[in-house]
Amino acid sequence: MKSLKSFGLVMVLALALGMGAGCAKKNAEVENVEPAPVATTSAVEAAAQQITDGVVYFDFDKYDIKAEYRDMLQQKAELMKQFPSIRVRIEGNCDERGTQEYNLALGERRARAAYEYMIRLGVPADQLDIISYGKERPAVEGTGEAVWAQNRRDEFNVIAR
Amino acid sequence: MRKFLPLFHSLVVLMMLVLAVPCGAATMVDIYGAGQNKINLAMASPLTGPSQRATALGAELNDAITTNLNYLPFMRLTSPSAVLGGTLLSAWQGAEVDFRRFQIAGADLLVTAHWPNGDRDNSTVELRVFETYSGKFVFGNAYSGVTHSEVPNVADRFCDDLMEALTGARGFFSSSLAFVKGNGRKRDVWVVRATGRDLRQVTNIPGAAMSPSWSPDGRYVVFSHMDDSTHALGVWDRMNNTVKRVRFPGNTVIGPCFLPDNRVAVSLSTGHYPDIFLLNRQFQRERTLEQSPGIDVSPSFDATGTKMAFTSSRLGSPQVFLKDFTTGTVSRVSMEGSYNSEPCISPDGTLIAYTKATPSGFRIFVHDMVTGYEQQISFGPGRDEQPAFAPDSYFVAFTSTRGGSSQIYLTTRHGGEARKVPTGAGNASFPSWGK
Repeated sequence: MKSLKSFGLVMVLALALGMGAGCAKKNAEVENVEPAPVATTSAVEAAAQQITDGVVYFDFDKYDIKAEYRDMLQQKAELMKQFPSIRVRIEGNCDERGTQEYNLALGERRARAAYEYMIRLGVPADQLDIISYGKERPAVEGTGEAVWAQNRRDEFNVIAR
Repeated sequence: MRKFLPLFHSLVVLMMLVLAVPCGAATMVDIYGAGQNKINLAMASPLTGPSQRATALGAELNDAITTNLNYLPFMRLTSPSAVLGGTLLSAWQGAEVDFRRFQIAGADLLVTAHWPNGDRDNSTVELRVFETYSGKFVFGNAYSGVTHSEVPNVADRFCDDLMEALTGARGFFSSSLAFVKGNGRKRDVWVVRATGRDLRQVTNIPGAAMSPSWSPDGRYVVFSHMDDSTHALGVWDRMNNTVKRVRFPGNTVIGPCFLPDNRVAVSLSTGHYPDIFLLNRQFQRERTLEQSPGIDVSPSFDATGTKMAFTSSRLGSPQVFLKDFTTGTVSRVSMEGSYNSEPCISPDGTLIAYTKATPSGFRIFVHDMVTGYEQQISFGPGRDEQPAFAPDSYFVAFTSTRGGSSQIYLTTRHGGEARKVPTGAGNASFPSWGK
């Protein structure tokens, strides 16, 4: 009788384990169908980081998007279409050499050049803002072409995600 | 005694009239012509009576006038130590004035100051100007109610009167400059007299102010304002000392400038290039003033409002252009150099000052609208930029880093030695003239 009791206990435990295993498997399947909130956040974060990381640089007194940056902008555009909650402020900047009012206009042209390119790639306009900082916010302090080249730029600041 | 009182009063009134009317006030110094000459001026010691030196307010006023006159590039002040026999006179007018000692010292003009009731608080001073060679009375004025705190204002009024008598132009000593002061991302609008007095801050909002412009009626200063996410038109209302930010579609606001009728022109971007728009009196967009396939910024107007100088990149690089609203024509002004910007047209419409990139850095040039002749009027070192013509079309304020930090300086349409406007600690830039 005692051995029968022991057998029954083992069976109950085995059943319990089996049910537990079954539940775990079922949860795993659910996760595969609907990503958990934690996973979504990290995906948006990764997209936001990728959008922020790429900076577009310009030649002196120019605001045309050079061919080498088109793939980067396309990648940003795809991510923004994939995550409609992301809003980006494109910030146009100039080097220190020009005068302030003209540089504010030039920074606007640089920001708008990227803005229009991304609109053409299908990014909804309500996901994009632009601002020109002119020469007010250099990325690198100093003088010389190596410094100036790093300051003639569009930065992509994620303001909502 | 009583019957003499009306006679005495009549004499006082007569004297005031004689003092107030400039005699022979023909222009003595042509500050606008090419052949600019200098004039030597001596100050006699202030008197309370014959050979009695005024040592209180009298001394203060003479010092204040001397400080003011040093701002006039065409004026050379005769050192008191150069006057043999000294500057203390036995008379302040008439044949008893010893003009000869001032002639010998090289002075063309002599200023006398007489305090008939002493130079205590709330006194009256009579200031007279004579030619030393002929003894001819040039002009004079009596200023009443002079107190210690009023001395600088009396000096300003006299110097404006003197400058008008000599040149035909007035207003420099009673004018003020709006400008931007601060460091980094926090910069506000301040105002100061052109001679450095009455310095005060008029805005204090997070972000950077740029390009202030003073309304001709003196009520508003508008400026472009930038914070982390927005551009706006800043408006300081002097009447109630308030500041507001006006936003525009496109989020770009550059270089506002008042027209003579107290409306504002400003560059906005509405999807096209930044173009120049006219705002209505509520600071809302009214109509386009100038647009092109290029950047159009930095409008500046003459006193009639029919001529607008501006910067445009329509031909590639930034250049200075002029729009004539009576004909609708636009003509290029700057012909040499690949970077010419920040034009300021003189109120009389004859000159355009602008910033040119030269091999030694930015310098201020003046373009004569009649002859096309161009003249460099600033010579560094450092960056010289943001020229602003005074209402007299003679003085030019500009920003320079010649002393290390960015500061405001004064020169004239002829160039010459630049003089720093004292604005206290911190970077100063974007001078704009006002009342």
